[in-house]
Amino acid sequence: MSPTPVSPARSNRGSHCGRIAVIATHAFTQLVRMKVFYFLAVFAVIVIGSNFFDLPQHVGPESAGINVLNSIKNWSIGMMSLFSVVFAIVATALLLPKDVEDRTLYTILAKPVPRIDYLAGKLLGVLLLVFVSLALMDVLMTVVLQIRTSMILSGQMEMAHSRGWPAAEIASLRADILSQGPNASLQGAVWAVFLRASIMASLALLISTFSTSTLFTSITSFLVYFIGYFQADARDVFLESGTAGTGWLARTVSLVVSLVLPDFHLFNVIDAVIQGQAMPLIRLGELTGIGLFYAVFYVLASWFIFAEKEF
Amino acid sequence: MADATPAVEICGLVKDFKTSFRRQMLRAVAGVSLRIEAGEVYGLIGPNGSGKSTTMKALLGLVAPTAGTCAIFGQDSLRVDSRREVGFLPENPYFYKHLSGAETLRFYGKLCGMRGRVLDDRVSELLALVDLESARDRRLGGYSKGMLQRIGLAQALVQDPRLLILDEPTAGVDPIGSRQIRDLIFKLRERGITVFLCSHLLEQVQEVCDRVGIIFQGKMVKEGRLEELIAIEDQTEIILRDASPDLVAQITALVADSPGAAVVRTGKPRTTLERLFLRETLRDDP
Repeated sequence: MSPTPVSPARSNRGSHCGRIAVIATHAFTQLVRMKVFYFLAVFAVIVIGSNFFDLPQHVGPESAGINVLNSIKNWSIGMMSLFSVVFAIVATALLLPKDVEDRTLYTILAKPVPRIDYLAGKLLGVLLLVFVSLALMDVLMTVVLQIRTSMILSGQMEMAHSRGWPAAEIASLRADILSQGPNASLQGAVWAVFLRASIMASLALLISTFSTSTLFTSITSFLVYFIGYFQADARDVFLESGTAGTGWLARTVSLVVSLVLPDFHLFNVIDAVIQGQAMPLIRLGELTGIGLFYAVFYVLASWFIFAEKEF
Repeated sequence: MADATPAVEICGLVKDFKTSFRRQMLRAVAGVSLRIEAGEVYGLIGPNGSGKSTTMKALLGLVAPTAGTCAIFGQDSLRVDSRREVGFLPENPYFYKHLSGAETLRFYGKLCGMRGRVLDDRVSELLALVDLESARDRRLGGYSKGMLQRIGLAQALVQDPRLLILDEPTAGVDPIGSRQIRDLIFKLRERGITVFLCSHLLEQVQEVCDRVGIIFQGKMVKEGRLEELIAIEDQTEIILRDASPDLVAQITALVADSPGAAVVRTGKPRTTLERLFLRETLRDDP
């Protein structure tokens, strides 16, 4: 008996990575075709506009123009944070329920697609879009900041030379101005913004696996986001207030809370970078580790729920 | 030698759902068993809420059976691998509107591990099969209901499955679109593909199915080969062309003389409203 011939269409089994890439690319295309990149035009206007926020200052001439650089960074990173978090939550909260409602999910899960592949693909599609958007915004911010820094540097150097400043002071002034311009720490801050958005997207994915509406998922995710900024303080206060805080129950609760809810307090380093401070590499590694931990943790929890879900 | 493994084997399927009031369970399917041999076209019919869609979903692993088993070509349908052999068209599907017809098929093909030339050829072949070549680059947002059903059928077939599951394949489609889908089912049967469908349009089920199951309140109440189920055993039908009134009178008299036999009805056979519609609307077609 000769074996049954296998159709070329059926011969390839496909891999997890291949399927995840297909779903991620599709989710990315879907979001791009929703015209989300129009936001970049708004961002460009804001970054260019922030050049003109040259507020009156009460410091010496050596600091002239520095507040403009701060303004550009403040507005740019602020917009990046806002866009990335809002987009990560809303897009993730939208994609999964929409597939269920339109029954598109049936046709996907009726193919040989494991549910973890579907979840991971959707999440990666959203993250890819956030990453590309942040990269484009970062390029625009860096270009504007570079041009403005050069202008300020040349003006300040001229001023210092005309006043006959010593070489050491000129070098110090130069270093001060450059620290406010585009540098590696600023790129690190943008990476931290992306990591924070990744955590929020993963969390929204988890909530959307059991939520019945996009609105509920979005609101709950935003609540967790704000709690994330206060949970470290609240936990410290709780643990240090009287004997209740030292018991095993309190410690267990605080451990569970700190594991389940992300501590966004750590991401305040972004604000320090905007003020011109350097971001140590160790801190960047720490943030990357935290981002990966929560993303993987939330995806696995999502899979745990989604694997048992009936449609 | 033919493969003896059935395309579908459902044994004692029970499915309970929790209602909004906890503790109360709703039994959607109550001990359904059925077997579909490879190459058959099987129709599952029943009123709304009788458990047809739940049975199909259990077969696709979209719901887990409370009791019983479902197998596709011998593989447990809860295993992801079993879906390599299945194509599914849900009732009233809405595919991604931002994709064109060709992109949709390419997306589903890639999910099945297809790539490159094989996938491109398959996409073109399927678009030709469902008569959507002219709309291959049009976004699905601009497709009519019938076109959506046909692209849905094409996506179900993309990985060349041996079993096709169709849930109300002609729901909401006009008679011409409905006829096209029916013709496609005939073509698939000729290719040896097993088709498992459920539909409310009983005439269509009667026309395309080899075997039929009637499900009611979650239970299979009748099942068997179509001709056996619908034949009226104690009656015989003779249809004559250009018979004169005299001939009819002679036949009637002959029957009257035969002991135990009786003429139940004489008259002109009628066409169906659907056939009349198709004849009138397609008469200008080449």
